[in-house]
Formats: sequence, structure tokens, C-alpha cells
Amino acid sequence: MQLTGTYTFKAPRDAVWQAMLDPENIRRCMPGCEEFKTTAEDQYEAVMKAGVGSIKGTFQGKIQLSERQPPSSYRMGVEGGGKPGRVKGSGVLTLTDQGGTTLVAYDGDAQVAGLIASVGQRLLGITARKLIEQFFKTMEKQIPATSA
Amino acid sequence: MAGAHVSITVNGKSYEREVEPRLLLVHFLREELGLTGTHIGCDTSQCGACTILLDDIAVKSCTMFAVQADGRSLTTVEGLAQGGQLHPVQEGFWEEHGLQCGYCTPGMIMSVVGLLQANASPSEQEIRHAIHGNLCRCTGYQHIVNAVQYAANKMAEGAKQPIGAD
Amino acid sequence: MIPSAFEYHSPTSVEDALGLLGRFGDDAKLLAGGHSLIPLMKLRLAAPEHLIDLGRVQGLSYIRDEGGAIAIGAMTTHSAVAASELLRSRVAVLAEAAASIGDVQVRNRGTIGGSLAHADPGADLPGVMLALNAELVARGASGTRTIAAADFFTDLLSTALEPNEVLTEIRIPVLPANTGSTYLKFANQASGYAIVGIAAVVTVSGATVADARVGVSGVGETASRASGTEQALRGQPANADAVKRAAQQAADGIEPLGDIHASAEYRSHLVRVFAERALNTALGRAQGRG
Ligand SMILES: Cc1cc2nc3c(=O)[nH]c(=O)nc-3n(C[C@H](O)[C@H](O)[C@H](O)COP(=O)(O)OP(=O)(O)OC[C@H]3O[C@@H](n4cnc5c(N)ncnc54)[C@H](O)[C@@H]3O)c2cc1C
Ligand code: FES
Ligand code: FES
Repeated sequence: MQLTGTYTFKAPRDAVWQAMLDPENIRRCMPGCEEFKTTAEDQYEAVMKAGVGSIKGTFQGKIQLSERQPPSSYRMGVEGGGKPGRVKGSGVLTLTDQGGTTLVAYDGDAQVAGLIASVGQRLLGITARKLIEQFFKTMEKQIPATSA
Repeated sequence: MAGAHVSITVNGKSYEREVEPRLLLVHFLREELGLTGTHIGCDTSQCGACTILLDDIAVKSCTMFAVQADGRSLTTVEGLAQGGQLHPVQEGFWEEHGLQCGYCTPGMIMSVVGLLQANASPSEQEIRHAIHGNLCRCTGYQHIVNAVQYAANKMAEGAKQPIGAD
Repeated sequence: MIPSAFEYHSPTSVEDALGLLGRFGDDAKLLAGGHSLIPLMKLRLAAPEHLIDLGRVQGLSYIRDEGGAIAIGAMTTHSAVAASELLRSRVAVLAEAAASIGDVQVRNRGTIGGSLAHADPGADLPGVMLALNAELVARGASGTRTIAAADFFTDLLSTALEPNEVLTEIRIPVLPANTGSTYLKFANQASGYAIVGIAAVVTVSGATVADARVGVSGVGETASRASGTEQALRGQPANADAVKRAAQQAADGIEPLGDIHASAEYRSHLVRVFAERALNTALGRAQGRG
């Protein structure tokens, strides 16, 4: 399942970079986060119970940040298991300075084992995008108000 | 989780069972009752191979729990032939080559029986509309439409015969 | 595919269903026709611990003419809506939309209440409810309230219903004289879900369009009204040229979804094309031409 999208933060790029890579912020912004611990530098384990409408699942998994290119891009990998099946995915997040605001673009690929693509995909894709948007929205609130 | 007691009439015979609530009706038919005429094609509510009649209405038995059918009356493909005599719809599929591999056939036939109960002389358009929820990978549908027309004619003739005639 | 285990409850009254909802809260889900919920449960995208079946609740399946409005019980199946003479003659857009859902077997089980409560982005009926200014009646522990369709669909798969409420009735206000309506969709060939679905309701006064309402399903995360098109058409001459001009704005303000079936651009294009066709049909009916 291809996952791409953008979100515009009303904050400068450095501030967005700092916020997005702060483990405490990641914990706070992850929808339905129930457990979160840092296992190594840039490596976390989390349990989240999240969903949209009738769709709901509990996921347990590892998050790995890599390929850091401050302040413009990094890769986020996710691997874990949950009610809908095993999930594995990875994507690149790119932060573009837009003069005071920051465009965050994500481009990734995720596999959910056991899900028949044509059936699960229709709703799963938009649900995943919705959760990512929730993540960014909460993240934006974590950034101290700037004059931007 | 607690089992549930169900009492379901299938093809005129009443069955009582303890089932898990999550047991799908199609699994109840196939595995609890051994009525394997009802097929599972897609298991995602799309293909209609699992179609049965629930109180004379065509439904997909893979998209219902057995507990929802408690107290209801079902007909499966096994319940159509009477006294060794094929149902006119079955006969139509035979005569008009309405099947090749046969996988879709039980569901297809049940949809058609449902159609002919509501509409004794459907147009070709109405027939195609009625089997929209039944996918066939072999026949290209034309022979199925012919089979339904055969059955409709046969049933109309049967209805014309005076009561008591053979 | 086998869903997660759950406990099954089969209340016979709305009160009992509400009691069960109150008791199990977030762990419970209502089951209507099951044609959205059971597929999700089989994929384990939903795994409620308690399933409260509305199938045996008495008095939730009806279509009644109540003078100022037509009242439809939440458990009325799509088949019953599609076959209703009352709806076909008075609210063609709803009967046509119901008839276009999935296939015979889906329509025999799926319910109007379940479809609206589920608020699938590809569902046909939400846009129809918007175009008809329908009212949705919800019952909760503390009483009954009526929600305007415009306030009901809040987000992707989300509605204004509280988790402890049951949708019991849909009320369709009677359409004024000289009104025509229709539903037209570009369907996903496999499932029937709307890639674009247009519900058009047009009222004429002599040679002028007095009112036009256009509901759009399948395009954005939730159904919406094409208000630009509606405004552009009101007060205009009742003819195909005016419709053509107004339909150009049908996709304005909608953020279209893009997926393997249709890109966002293609969906926007289809909205304009189908809005024009549907409005012309509705206009023709309003003028007594079929
Ligand atoms: C193969 C297939 C094709 C389909 N094609 C189409 C199509 O072309 N167009 C279309 O619009 N739909 C389509 N559907 C969906 C179908 O219309 C469903 O029946 C409908 O969306 C849900 O109704 P239901 O009664 O089955 O609800 P359920 O699946 O039982 O419930 C859906 C959700 O609504 C909640 N709910 C149900 N009733 C109530 C209530 N009274 N009060 C509060 N909450 C309630 C449930 O808790 C659940 O979360 C299709 C489905 C299938 C399987
Ligand atoms: S197996 Fe039930 S619809 Fe395909
Ligand atoms: S005969 Fe083979 S699928 Fe229909």
C-alpha cells in the first residue's frame, strides 16, 4: 500500500525538525498511544490503539528513524503486529522551508500481511492517511508558538 | 466466549446446535451440517458463490453469522430437488449448459430461484440485474441467462397444468 | 476469514439495545445488516468484544407517509427502499440510489440506517440525505434528538452519533411541487460503491430554476453539497445551457480522494460531467418530461 501526502506546519523548518524527532513528542502525538519506550538511539517500541469510525485496531511495534539529513529529511520504518495482521513499512519524510511555514511530505510503502489488497486497501489507505494527519496536527500544537 | 444456542430450519429440517457467535452462516452449513453445496468463493462478500435463501430472500451466507439466522428458515441448493426430480432452475442449467466448472453454480442457482419467486417472467435485463451479485469466471453469463429463461418457461408451463395433473 | 471472538446480544427493543450500549460502551458495536461491519470484522479491521444485533428489535423497519415528511425506519433494507412505490413516486433520488447499491444480496441485507451510521466515503446514501435536507433521528439514554443531515456526516467514517446512541429513523421532508430528482453514479464495477455519485434535486417555477440541491458521494472523505453549482443555478433559466455552466463548479471546495480506481483529477472531472447529466434529468422531471 502506497502512502503519500503532505501537511503544512505553520512553523519554521528548524522548529518542525526538532519537534518531529523528539521522542516525547512522538509519544504524545501518536494516535491512541498506550505504551512508548526508547530502546536505543532513534529506536522506539510502541503500542497504539487507534482507528477511525468502525475501523479500529491495536498495534504493537518498533519504530526506527534513520537517514537523518537535518533539517530536511529522514526515514521512518515501522514493523509490528496487530489485530489486522503484521505491518511492515518505511517511508521518507521531507521538510521543505516555505518561508516561515514548512511543508512536510511523506512518501512510503506499507504492507499489511493477510489483507487482500483490493478489499482492505480501499478503506485502509484513507484511514492510515487520516491517522498520519492526526499525528501531524497534534505535532503542530507541540511547537511553541512562533511569530510565523 | 460463551456459546450460543441456535435453532435453524434448513431445507425443511430443523437443526439445534451450540455455536460460537463468530461462526459464519456458510461455515455452519458446510461444517456443522455437512451441506457443502454452498460454496465459499471470495470470502469477501463479492462473488455470491455462498448465496442461499433466508426466508425466501437471497443473501450471502459468508456475510452473516449463524446466530443471526436463529429461528429462521433457510434453503440451500441441496433443498431444491424434490423426490429425485431436479428443480426447474437446476434442469435449466443442465439443459442450457449454464455451467462449466460449477463453482459459482449453487450460488447462481439460489439467486435465480429468489428472482423467479418474485418475478415469474423476467426480461433478459432483469435476469442480468438479478445475478449481478454472482460472479462466474467461466461461462460469460449468456448460457446462464438462457438457463434462467428455460426455467421460467418450464415453471410457467407447470403452473398452467390443472391441479392434480401429472 | 474468521473474525475475532465476541459476545452476541440480541435485544428486542431499542431500550434494551441502549441498555447494552451503556453497559459495554466502547467495546460494543451495533449490528444492522452487517454488510459493512462483518467484512471489516473478517479482515479484523474491527474487533468489537460485544455485538448488539438490531435484527430482532421490533418496529425499526417501515416507510411511512406522515404528511409533511416521509419517515423511514433505520432497519429498512435497501431492497425495501428501492421497491417502495411511495419513495419511487415522491423521492425518486432515494429509491434510485438504494437500487444502485451493490447487488441484490447486499440490498437484501444492508440497511439505510447502517449505511448512514457507517458513513463510508463510497456509500451512495449520504449525498442523497444532504440533497434532501433529511433529518436523522437518534435515540440515546437521555432521550431522542434530531440531527440535520448537514450536521450528521462529520468526517471520514464518522458521524454526529454518540457511541451510545441508536439511529432509529430517517425523515425526508416532502419536496415542493414542480420538483424533480435523480441519482446518478459512476460505480466501481466490482463492488458497486460510488466513485462519483450525484444526487440532484431541482425545483422549477415557470421557466426558472427556483431551487437546486446537489449532493456528492464517493468523491471526498465525506459526502458534501456542491454549493457553488447550486447557487449558480438558482434563479437561472431552466435549460441545459444554464445547467452546463453551473455544473462546471460542481467539484469546487471538495478535496477528492485518489486511489487505484480513480485519481483525484479524474474524480473531479467526473463530478462535473455527472452533475450536468443528473441535473438535466432532474430538471426534465421537474418540468414533467419523464
Ligand atoms: C459487496 C458489497 C457491495 C456494496 N456496495 C455498496 C454500494 O454500491 N453502495 C453503498 O452505498 N453501499 C454498498 N455496500 C455497503 C452496504 O450498503 C451496507 O449494507 C451498508 O453500508 C451498511 O449497512 P448495514 O445495515 O449492513 O450496516 P452494518 O454493517 O450492520 O453496520 C455498519 C456500521 O453502522 C453501525 N450501525 C448500524 N446500524 C446502526 C443504527 N441503527 N444506529 C447506530 N449505528 C448503527 C454499526 O455499528 C456499524 O459500525 C456494499 C457492501 C458489500 C458487502
Ligand atoms: S463467498 Fe460469500 S460472496 Fe463470495
Ligand atoms: S461455471 Fe465456473 S465460475 Fe461459473
